[in-house]
Amino acid sequence: MKSIIIKNLSKISFVASLLCVAASAFAQDNISPQRKQAIDSLALEKVRDLSKYISIIGDKETAYSEATRVMERAGELFAPDSEMGVSSLTTEEITYYKVQEYFQRLMALNYDKVKIDWYDIHYISDLEKQPDGKYVGVVTVYQRFEGTSEDGLSYKDTTKKDITIYVEKKKTQIAGRTIEFWDVMLGDIRVTETSA
Amino acid sequence: MIHRLFITFLILIPSLLPAQITQEATGIDESELYASTKQVNQFFRRFNGEEDQKGNRYYENDKSYRDVELRKNYLTILFNTENNRISKDLKKQFINDVTSRQNPKYLNFHKEGWFAEVNAVFSRGGKDENILLFFKIQPQGQGYEWVLEKASVEAYKSSFNKDSSSNKSFIHPMSHELDFMNLNKAFRNSKGVDFTARNFKPDYLSIFLYELSNKKISFKTVRDLKFHFFQCAGWYFQISEYNRSGYNRGWLISDLTPIKEEQIPALKALIYDQQ
Repeated sequence: MKSIIIKNLSKISFVASLLCVAASAFAQDNISPQRKQAIDSLALEKVRDLSKYISIIGDKETAYSEATRVMERAGELFAPDSEMGVSSLTTEEITYYKVQEYFQRLMALNYDKVKIDWYDIHYISDLEKQPDGKYVGVVTVYQRFEGTSEDGLSYKDTTKKDITIYVEKKKTQIAGRTIEFWDVMLGDIRVTETSA
Repeated sequence: MIHRLFITFLILIPSLLPAQITQEATGIDESELYASTKQVNQFFRRFNGEEDQKGNRYYENDKSYRDVELRKNYLTILFNTENNRISKDLKKQFINDVTSRQNPKYLNFHKEGWFAEVNAVFSRGGKDENILLFFKIQPQGQGYEWVLEKASVEAYKSSFNKDSSSNKSFIHPMSHELDFMNLNKAFRNSKGVDFTARNFKPDYLSIFLYELSNKKISFKTVRDLKFHFFQCAGWYFQISEYNRSGYNRGWLISDLTPIKEEQIPALKALIYDQQ
């Protein structure tokens, strides 16, 4: 079942990329409002993929081999060296984890049952150009977590996730033609526990 | 029209917001998250009246882009309501001034007049030490970058307490004839700062960078963050992030004061903790 979900996610991403390529006929250096909307959709698609991967990795019913595979897939969404900066209501200071380390910790959480849901709400920032010409933005989403131990005790929290997105115009050759398209990669993620 | 009603709801009658969007698992109401100013970017957009209630951006050709009433509604919810030091009158004056039809004032991400204050933790000899770092945005290459402008380090300050009394140590005016051999005594018995010119100002950022490159200190984490704004002529305000329940959360104005142009350097010195 989860394999099907992952395959579908890959298909969705591919379709989204194609849409992006199709829209790239008008590619330009400055991002128009229409282009921004297309990029936002692609970024959200990647964030949703990540959300689903996190839910699968955290799910205690996910087999170890499957979770490992999903972690690899999830890692492919990220730019190299991406980190998660995590703080809680009790410790405001940020603790840093490499993305794969974060996933490993999520998989190893000592609960018998884990439920991870996502709020419908999201917020997408403007895109700002970096010195190297790539664009950078931040997508904010909210996640609900509930872990239940064998004795019935449960831990619940809601976290705000501010996810860096890097947007870059790339070129590819299709049937001898050079096609430009906008690609989105995820970067560092700031995870903040929010007050209920 | 609908977005204005929505904002009015957020301000006046949050209890009437739809109950079904409450998340029972955690008790967080999704409408609270909509109301929250979730990013500094959203603070800019709300301040300028550049997005709808769902966070979708308005562009110059959109009818509601920078609409005065929209801005007024947003500005009302951009204050930390728990700060009683900002009076209702002051808020009103500020909102009326920045939304004035003749001379509206907007925030501009790329322009001078705002900067970040990062309260970071460094390790010095195994002990944690708070250091304030001040960053500003500058154009660079094809885009923009945040750059370090100032640092405030408590540990440095004691080295720069200058004795300005009439009994202060000095290097006598004929020392040059002795090849400044008396530096031996001067630096042994007194702090070097006593021998600096009257207009000497220590540059903590340079010392900080020197210590960082020599691994005397190492970065640990960020503890807190706020932003200072001088972009609206006649005003200074500060924004901080409030992580709490309710509708008044996220990035909000935590301090506001009217200010004259000539007072700005003194206030900046106070903020940089280097007055």
